Amino acid sequence: MSHVTPVPGTSPSVGAQLPTTTTGVAGRSALSLDDIAQRITVRFPAVRAEQAFGELTLHVEPDDLLEVVTFCRDDDELSCELLSDLSGVHWPAGEHTIARQTSTTGWPDYRVSREQGVVEVLYILRSVSRNHHFRISAGTVDTSPRLPSVTGVYPTANFHEREVYDFFGVEFDGHPDLTRILMPDDWVGHPHRKDYPLGGIDIPYKNDKFIPPPHERDLREVID
Amino acid sequence: MGLEEKLPSGILLTNVERIVNYTRANSLWPATFGLACCAIEMMASGGPRHDMARFGMEVFRASPRQADLMIVAGRVSNKMAPVLRRIYDQMSDPKWVLSMGVCATSGGMFNNYALVQGVDHVVPVDMYVPGCPPRPEMLLDGILKLHEKIKHETFAEQGARA
Amino acid sequence: MAIDPTAAHTATPAATPPATAADLDDDIYVEGADWESVVDAVSDDHITVNMGPQHPSTHGVLRLVLDLDGETVTRLTPIVGYLHTGIEKNTEVRTWVQGTTFVTRMDYLSPFFNEAAFCLATEKLLGIEVPERAEVVRVILLEFNRIASHLVWLATGGMELGSTTVMEFGFREREHVLDLFEAQSGLRMNHAYIRPGGLAQDVTDDFLERSAALVDLLTERMRDYEDLLVENPIWHARLKNVGHIDADTCLRLGVTGPVLRAAGVPWDLRKAQPYSGYERYEFEVPTRTEGDSFARFLIRLEEMRQSMHIIRQALELLPGGPVMVDDKRIAWPSQQSLGADGIGNDPDYIRHIMGESMEALINHFKLVTQGFTVPPGQVYVPVESPRGELGYAVTSIGTNKPYRVHVRAPSFVNLQAADVMARGQGVADVVVVVASLDPVMGDVDR
Repeated sequence: MSHVTPVPGTSPSVGAQLPTTTTGVAGRSALSLDDIAQRITVRFPAVRAEQAFGELTLHVEPDDLLEVVTFCRDDDELSCELLSDLSGVHWPAGEHTIARQTSTTGWPDYRVSREQGVVEVLYILRSVSRNHHFRISAGTVDTSPRLPSVTGVYPTANFHEREVYDFFGVEFDGHPDLTRILMPDDWVGHPHRKDYPLGGIDIPYKNDKFIPPPHERDLREVID
Repeated sequence: MGLEEKLPSGILLTNVERIVNYTRANSLWPATFGLACCAIEMMASGGPRHDMARFGMEVFRASPRQADLMIVAGRVSNKMAPVLRRIYDQMSDPKWVLSMGVCATSGGMFNNYALVQGVDHVVPVDMYVPGCPPRPEMLLDGILKLHEKIKHETFAEQGARA
Repeated sequence: MAIDPTAAHTATPAATPPATAADLDDDIYVEGADWESVVDAVSDDHITVNMGPQHPSTHGVLRLVLDLDGETVTRLTPIVGYLHTGIEKNTEVRTWVQGTTFVTRMDYLSPFFNEAAFCLATEKLLGIEVPERAEVVRVILLEFNRIASHLVWLATGGMELGSTTVMEFGFREREHVLDLFEAQSGLRMNHAYIRPGGLAQDVTDDFLERSAALVDLLTERMRDYEDLLVENPIWHARLKNVGHIDADTCLRLGVTGPVLRAAGVPWDLRKAQPYSGYERYEFEVPTRTEGDSFARFLIRLEEMRQSMHIIRQALELLPGGPVMVDDKRIAWPSQQSLGADGIGNDPDYIRHIMGESMEALINHFKLVTQGFTVPPGQVYVPVESPRGELGYAVTSIGTNKPYRVHVRAPSFVNLQAADVMARGQGVADVVVVVASLDPVMGDVDR
C-alpha cells in the first residue's frame, strides 16, 4: 500500500517521465566531463562549456534553460534524476579586486561581468544511476532578475528557488508559490546580494565607548 | 532577647517572602525552548550524566503556561523574536529568563542582519551563561546561581520586573 | 420483485416516503452560493492546525501548518526560517580559516561534516592534498560524529514518541563520543578542528586506545537499542507503514541520505565519489525497500554499525607524520601543544620567529591577521552527512575571503518530502514523519 500523493505544484506527468532508478545505481558507468559537454553542446550549440577544478560548468542562456534542463533529465545518456543544488551568486556592476589578482598571481582568468550586474544561478545536476554531476549556470540582470522556474522539471527546486528569491530577488516564472522562505515575510531587501550590508551592530572596542548594560541601553544609540 | 528565645523546639521563624522564594527556587520548571546548538547541550543537561533532576527541574514543560523559567538556548533570529516574546508573555508570573550561550546573550559571532543582537532586546534576562555552547556544567552553574538570586529577591522586585 | 441494480439511479423522489412536517423542521433550507460554502466547510470537518515553531516534537523551531480532514492529514506545509543565522553571508567577510568556525555551527549535530566539506572545497580550490594522517583522523572523527548524530536522532525521536528510556540511552552514549571530541579539539560541539590543509593540531597520545575502547563500548551498547526497539510492538505500531516514500518520489524531491537508502537506492557519496580516502575502507551501504519510518530506523542502526567498522579499519591504518600541509603559505604557523602550565604553546617556534627569522615573523602575522588567498573559481563539494548530501558550493575571486559560500543542506531539501510522507496519515504520525526525516533546524535555516 502506498501513501504517495502527487507533489503540489507539479503536473502528474512529471513523475511518469522520470526514469525508474531503483536498481540502476551501480549498473551504469559515468560519462566523462568531455562526453557530457559534447552531448549537450551538440544538441544546444549556444551552450558554452567550461572545465575548471575537475568540474564542468555549462553556461546557458535563460531562454534555453528549461529546454536544456529537461534534456539533461530525459536523455538516456545523461539521465540526471537529481537536482542536487541550486544556488545564487551576485556579481554587482563595478570594479573587482579580481583584475589585480589575475595580473599578479597568474591564476586563470575568471569570468565576471562588470558593465552590468549579474545574478548567476547555479544548478548542480546529478545522475544517481550513472554517477556523474555537472553545473549549469544561468545569469540574469541584477536590476530585475528573472529566470524560468525549473520546478516543473525538478519539483525539488521549489524550496531552492524560494531561497534564491529570498536572498537575491530572482523572480522565477512559473514557480507555484514564490514567497520568502527563510527571512520574515515583511523583510525589505534581499540579504545575500552584495549591495546589501552585512548588518548587525557596531561593537566599539575603541576610545571610551562601551556598550552599557541592558537596562541602561538605548538601542538606537548602540546602532549609531 | 526576643521572641526566638521563647520558642519551643521544632519551631522555625521566617517570613513569607523567604519561604515562598525557597519553594519557588527549588521547583523551577523550565519551558522547552530549544533554538540551536545550545538546545542540544540543554538536553544533555537533562540526560543521564548531568542529570538536572538533582535540582528538581527535570520536568521541561512543553506549555509555557506551566513553566517558570525560559532557557533561551541558542541564537534568536528576527523571525523568531516575536514568537519568543509571545511565549514569554504566555508564561505565568513569576517568571525568569536565562540566556544560554553567547548568541542569545549578545548575538555572539553572528553579528549580522539575521539575528537579534542579544535576547535582552526582547525579554528581560535574569542570568547570562557564556560559552559557545556552554557545557552542561556551566548551564547547571547558571541555574544554581539563578536559584540563589530567586531566594533573595523581594516580592516588590519580582512585581516590578513582571 | 427482482432487484435491478440500475433502478436506484432512475428512481424518482416520489418513491421515497413523503417528508413529514417534523422532518422539515429539522432541516434548514437556505439558498445562495456563499452560505452553501460556509455550510460545506463546517460539515466537511476540514480544519487547519498550526504546529510550532515552539513545539516539543518538531525537532527545534520548525513550524508545520496541517490541513486536517478529521484526524487525517490532507496537506502539510513546513514553514522554516526561524533559525536563520546568516552564516553564509557572514563567511563572506571572514577569512577562509575563520569560515570553518562559522560553518561548524550550521548543522550542530554533525559539526565535523560541515568543517570537512568546507575544508575539502577550500582545498580543491587551492589544489592541495592533506597529509595522510590528517585524512585518516578526519575519517575517524567523521564516523564517530555520524554515530553521535544518529544517537541524538534516536534519543529525540524516541522522546517524541514518548519513550524516555531511549532518550536516556542515546544521550548516555553520546557523552562518551563527545568526551573523545573534547579531548582532541577542546570543545564538545562546534569544534573548528578540521582546517583547510589538515587539522588544527595533532590528536592526543592516547587517541588510539581511547577510540578503540569507545568503539568496543558502542558495539556493546548497540545491543541495548536492538533489544529494546527492534522487536518492540509499540515501536512497530508507531513506525511501520508510517511516512512511506518511494525511490522515485525521493529523487524527484531531492531527498538523499538514509531516507533514500530506506527506499531502496544504494546511493552513498562515500562509495560513489570517495573523498578523504574513503575508497580504502571496506563497508556496506545498507538499503531496504519498505521506504517507511521503520526501515529508516533500521538503516540508521546499521549505518552506526558500519561506521564502527570503518573506524576500526582506520585505527589500524592511522599513520604517523604531520597533520597539516607542508606549505608555509597555508598551514597555520605553529603546532601548539599543551604545556605544563596548562597553556598551549610552542617554544621552538616562538624562538624561531622572535630570535632567528624576521621573514618568518612577517609571514606569521600576515597569515594570522590576513589569511591566505585562494585561486578564483567555483567548486561544489558534496559529502555524505548523516542526513544526506551536504554540499558546499564555494565561489572564490582570488582574495583571502570566500566570495560566496552556499550550503546545500540535506535537512532543508529533505523537509520538502514531509508533505508527501504525511498525507493520508493521522495527526500523531506527523511527529513520526518529521522525526524519521531527522531535520536539524540549524541545517535547514543556516
